[in-house]
This record gives sequence, C-alpha cells and structure tokens, in this order.
Amino acid sequence: MRRLLLALMLFWALPVAAQTPPGEPRVVLPLDPPLAAARPAAAPESPLIAHLSQASAEISTTFSGSSIFVFGTSAVPLGLDGGDIVVVVRGPTDAVTVRRKVRVLGMWFNGPSTRFENVPGFYGVAGTMPAWHVLPEDLRRRYGIGLDALEFQRSGASSGNFREALEELHREQQLWLEDSAPVRVEGNRLFYVRLPLPATVPAGRYGVEVMLVRNQQVIAHQELAFAVERVGTAATIADVSRERPLLYGVMCVLLAAVAGWLGSVLFRRG
Amino acid sequence: MQVYLPIAEMSVNAFLLMGIGFGVGWLSGLFGVGGGFLLTPSLLLLGVPAPVAVASGANQVLGASVSGLIAQWRRGNVDWVMGIVLVVGGLIGSAIGTQFFAWLRTLGLVDAVVAIFYIVVLGSLGSLMVMESVRAILRRRASVPRRLHQHFWMHGLPLKLRFRKSRLFISVIPPALVGVVIGLLSAVMGVGGGFMLVPAMIYLIGMPTSVVIGTSLFQIVCVTAGVTVLASVQMGSVDIVLTLLLLIGGVVGAQFGAALGGRLRGEETRFLLGLLVLAVALLLGWGLVEAPDRLFSLSFDK
Repeated sequence: MRRLLLALMLFWALPVAAQTPPGEPRVVLPLDPPLAAARPAAAPESPLIAHLSQASAEISTTFSGSSIFVFGTSAVPLGLDGGDIVVVVRGPTDAVTVRRKVRVLGMWFNGPSTRFENVPGFYGVAGTMPAWHVLPEDLRRRYGIGLDALEFQRSGASSGNFREALEELHREQQLWLEDSAPVRVEGNRLFYVRLPLPATVPAGRYGVEVMLVRNQQVIAHQELAFAVERVGTAATIADVSRERPLLYGVMCVLLAAVAGWLGSVLFRRG
Repeated sequence: MQVYLPIAEMSVNAFLLMGIGFGVGWLSGLFGVGGGFLLTPSLLLLGVPAPVAVASGANQVLGASVSGLIAQWRRGNVDWVMGIVLVVGGLIGSAIGTQFFAWLRTLGLVDAVVAIFYIVVLGSLGSLMVMESVRAILRRRASVPRRLHQHFWMHGLPLKLRFRKSRLFISVIPPALVGVVIGLLSAVMGVGGGFMLVPAMIYLIGMPTSVVIGTSLFQIVCVTAGVTVLASVQMGSVDIVLTLLLLIGGVVGAQFGAALGGRLRGEETRFLLGLLVLAVALLLGWGLVEAPDRLFSLSFDK
C-alpha cells in the first residue's frame, strides 16, 4: 500500500520537477510566452541592491542577543555630494501601556497610564548620515524615519510625558536605536551596517527598509524581511504554555515534584 | 552561562539562579520552612516580572516540599483528614487569590500590592516570632510551666469533626478558614505558606507538634500545585526553566541547611527566622517608600 502511494506521489511530482528543478533558477524558454511575460524584464535596473546576512535570528535556550547585518551596493556614488543610505528596521507591533508612579500615603504606586497601539517591539534606524540631515522634515515624518517620527494612536491620560517615557524606556533596553552605528561605505558603492538585537527582542516578522537618498529625495528603496523565531526547547515551552495551558500547568506540577523528589534522594547522603 | 527563560522572556545567568535556589534552600532547610517568602522577592529584584516570579516561585516550593512530605508520610506524621479540610479551604483561597491577582495586573498594581502583602504579613509575623522566641528563651531560664491545651470561643462552633491523628474533636470551620487565608496568600505572594501555617496549626487549631510539619507539607504541596495550574491557565506565567534551575540549587542547599539546623535550639532557630523575616519586610518596605529611579514603566498587553 505504502509503495503504491509512493509511486503515485512520484507520478504526480515528476512533471512538476521537470518544469522547475528544485534549487535551480527557472529556465525561461524564449518561445514560451506566459513565462516570458512573468519576468520583469521591462523594468529599469534599480540603482540600489540590498541584502541581509540571514533570513532569521533564532531565540534558543542559550539566546543572549544577536544582530542583523544589512549590506548592498548603490549605482549612485555614496558620500559627500553623492547619495546617502538610510536603513530602517521595524519589529512586530504590540499595544503598550505606559504607567507613571505617584506618591500615595508616602508610598509609590502606579498611577495614571496611557495605552499606545501598534508600538514596534524593535525599531532601529541607521544611515550614512542621520536621517534628519539628508531628508526634509515632512518626508521623514511621513515615512516614519527616526524615533521622533513614530506616531501612535493613544488612549488614556493625555497630559504628562508618556510619549517621551515610551521612547526612553525602549532606548534604555536597546530595543529602539537611532544612529547607534553609522552605515559604512567602501569605495563609494558598497555599504553595510550591523544592527544589534538585544536579548529581549520580541519574536515575529521584522521588516527592513533600505533607502537611497539623493538631493533630499528618496530615489530608490528596497524592502527586505527577516524573522526572529523561538527555536528548540524555548519555542516548545512557550508554545505549549500558550496553546495548552492546562496541560502545561499539570506538567509543571509533575516535573517540579519529580525533580524535588529526585534531588532529595540524590543528595541525602552527601 | 546565560539561559533564556521562555516565559519570562529574558536571559539570566543560570548559576546565579542556582545560587539563589541554594541560598533559599539552605535557609529553608535550617528553619524548616519552604522559603517561598525569600524566593519571590529575590526573583523580583532580579527583574523577573511579578506574575512569573509568583507562579514559578509557587511551583518551586511545590518541588522543594515533595521530598519532605514523602519522608513525613513514611513516619506516619500526616493527618490526612485535617490535611484535606485545609486543602479544600486552600484551593478556594487560591482560586480567589489568582482572580484577584489577574485583576490587579490589569490595573498595573501587582508589584505594589505584592510588596504590601509581604510587608504586612512578614512584618507582623516576624515581630511575633521574635517576641515569642525571646519570651521562650527567658522562660527557659525562669522555667515557668505552660498549659498544654487551651479552650476558647473557637471550640463552640458547629460542624464538629473527629481528627484522629491530631487527637482533636473540633469544628471544621477554623481549619477551613486557615486554609482559605493561606491559599489566598499563596496565590498573591507565591509562597507555600508554611511559615504561617505551622504557627496557625499549633496556636489556633491546637494540633500536636508531631503531625504539624507533615500535615502542613501536605497542604503546601496541594495548594502550590493548585496555584501553578491556575496561574498557567489564567495568565500563562509559569516558567518551568526558572523553576527547575531554582530547584537544582534548592534541594542541595536544603540538605546543608538541615544538617546545621539540627544543632540549634528551637527558640534560637525561631528567633533567627523571625529576624530574617523582619529584615525581608523592612527591605521591601524601603523599596516602596524610597523615591523610584524611574517614574515610568511599560507593560505589554498580550
């Protein structure tokens, strides 16, 4: 029965494999109109080509931070009197509540709060020059480039420095970075930058936007993406805890009981 | 060696956690208590979020108490009937406590309320213990005899039940209420409650000392198991990696502590434990009164 299934699968797979051999680029025959049309041949070559060193960063049980390396080339010479590169990395978003402590009866308690929607858990911006230097203010705000250009829908207490606190607390944990390291340029064409991801980065999809700026205008841009994923034991534990909380709780009880009992048996004589 | 805690979502030195486990285990072996009241505040100081510290702390106390329970059970020192009454009360208390905790979390008051609970409970208990042990030390010198069993209003309550092992014929209401209170504190403070349960059983319920430790361990194991499951279902805040690392240090430390504890007199141990409890209460109280470094804090809604 299994052999029959295998043969059936092979029969199905073979014609597909013949069309696109795995791991190899699709061969476009000149006389095949549908495939030829799919190729973006008519578009002009982009003056910007950017790439990431890896497609994912993995949070394992021994994770203590990582980094993402962005590099590429520009057709326009970079540097003085030339173009500039601006790189923006945006992590997954979440709602965040900022609370302020107030003094009641001589003790400090959390008091008024403001809730911000769609706050990126990680945000990093880097450039050959600071973004405010190479882009006009309105353009920079519209594209959300730079920490002060991030705008959020908010609810709750409106007075007080909640927006500033949100920025400061994220900066302190290295989760929001602005020009922490400049984008370096080699030979006027090749650029690269390494952005650190601290141990507390949230898991999820990350977007990377690379922009080529010249004369206060974005003349080319490219969108890249990578994922920060939990892997191994850390991922399994977090998944089970989220999806099967009852089972997870019972497992924790049993594991702790067995570990405590085993430990006391092992060390009693020692 | 850095280890990533999957639920707390932070990276912590594994040896530091084992060291904390060892220290707390040593003290708990020395004084014969679970040590949860020292563990949860230490985790909070490390920066572990309060819900994770409380839930994982309760889970660790469970593991640390299991071996003691097995040993007491073998010696026949567990009053199961009394234990079940305490546990039923304890589970009701921890269910209320977990709800209360989840509600506090939405208000952002968890850290402050946990600290206040600690200060009030530890402060009053610590002072009581210090006073009682000083009196006991003085009494030993003066050798004043003390009445063994006292009767008061509590013994007039209905629903009387016979507790064979404890040689008591009393109403189930006082032990059940004691259970509820301990369960509530256990859910809010992440402690087993042994340091409160043992005096309550001796002085309030009037149980003989021989069955007190075994029965309280039975109650602690059941209630911390309940808190662990409830916290997992309600908030998903039990970090098993954190629990196991603390347990490794804890079981080793407890053996060393117990060895030293055997050489101290009962009153002296209680006096030292009282001082320790008071010191923790004062430290936490200072943290609440002292002007904070940061006025603002973030919380993520999951």
